[in-house]
Amino acid sequence: MSLTEGIRAKAGELLESGVVECVIGYERGTDGVNARPAFVYSTDEVDRLIFDDTCSHNLVKYLLNRKGKTTAVVAKPCDARGVNLLLNEHQIEREKVHVIGVVCPGVVDSAWGSKGDKLRAVCEVCRQHVPPVYDHLVGDVPASEPEVPEPYADIEKMEGMSVAERAAFWEAEFSRCIRCYACRQACPGCYCVECFVERLHPLWVGIRIGPGENQMWNAMRAFHLAGRCIGCNQCEKVCPVNIPLSLLNRKLEKEAWELFHFRAGMAPDTAAPFATFEKDEKVGIGE
Amino acid sequence: MAIAGEFEPRIVGFLCNWCSYAGADMAGTSRISHPPNIRIIRVPCSGRVDPLLIVKSFQMGADGVLVAGCHPGDCHYTEGNYYARRRLAMLRPFLEYLGIEKERFDVEWVSASEGKRWAAVVTSFTEGVRKLGPRKAVKAEEASV
Repeated sequence: MSLTEGIRAKAGELLESGVVECVIGYERGTDGVNARPAFVYSTDEVDRLIFDDTCSHNLVKYLLNRKGKTTAVVAKPCDARGVNLLLNEHQIEREKVHVIGVVCPGVVDSAWGSKGDKLRAVCEVCRQHVPPVYDHLVGDVPASEPEVPEPYADIEKMEGMSVAERAAFWEAEFSRCIRCYACRQACPGCYCVECFVERLHPLWVGIRIGPGENQMWNAMRAFHLAGRCIGCNQCEKVCPVNIPLSLLNRKLEKEAWELFHFRAGMAPDTAAPFATFEKDEKVGIGE
Repeated sequence: MAIAGEFEPRIVGFLCNWCSYAGADMAGTSRISHPPNIRIIRVPCSGRVDPLLIVKSFQMGADGVLVAGCHPGDCHYTEGNYYARRRLAMLRPFLEYLGIEKERFDVEWVSASEGKRWAAVVTSFTEGVRKLGPRKAVKAEEASV
């Protein structure tokens, strides 16, 4: 049974039995090549659902709009880590959410009307092909998760640069930022009712699109996800000016691993690094 | 006093009310001098120091930021500094990654009785920042406040 058939069968079953009111999955977009999110409310719509390597959206974000309502969501492993993150932070109720996990072969970057021919960069270094949380699993479980010899090669390259080079690099990258906040809107971890960037008193980030303000926004967006980022890389995908946001997120992910041996979203009940501490730990501060 | 034209670093200090601020006070009452470049902001606890405050300080033109709090185990609120330690341990390499030299940001534990140590910490931090010179890559916010 293909992934598409598996998802359709389960979605139909869930809607038929009334376990959920809505199934969030993927359908073919109007360009005929790519996928787009689909919200399926009845069994006769189930045949719209698909799954293939163009299904790159993280649909877990939509669970935040359906709080308190029974919902099933199609989740790749990185998306499923988002489910764990939201459970850990008490944003969704476990009993209201039915996770249709997909054993993910990786997805491709794509543009309107055309499909990329190679995996997204984050999929290349992905070490989790089976979702860490699911109620129903579609696809064949591999014998073992892949070994990635150098998962942080891009970050190590950045770390090899001098501080001045990095400052210049980021200034150039951030100079393109138009502060549309698409990165925030696409992120399942960014759900604050009032984002710090929209606060007027105090005004944390000025309204002007300038180097200081842009750096402030990008630095703090990334840091608010320190130890929380699940690595789905939706932020970078939606960025209209192609700022390499994964270089920020993955740096913090690497640090969280090195300092606290923590990867976000692997379990629903593990405390995030900033929500706990150990009295005698050495983390390189004030020593 | 500064010689005209010579670089004088602007340093922001976030000091916890219970230990480090009292420690700085102790330095004063003991008549111990240290470079006057630091502008002290008193906070209830080092756990109050949101990374936003630090990034904002740098954005607004600070040449250095120093956070000081009670020694681990001595927090007035029992565990505020343990949380601060974790948060700032992640922030420090991240700032360096963004292009802010790691000497420009430091965290020190200074108790209420360590006036001498406070003066030593401020002196060495200020000299470290002075050596680096003014921050070049990140332009200060001009008109948005």
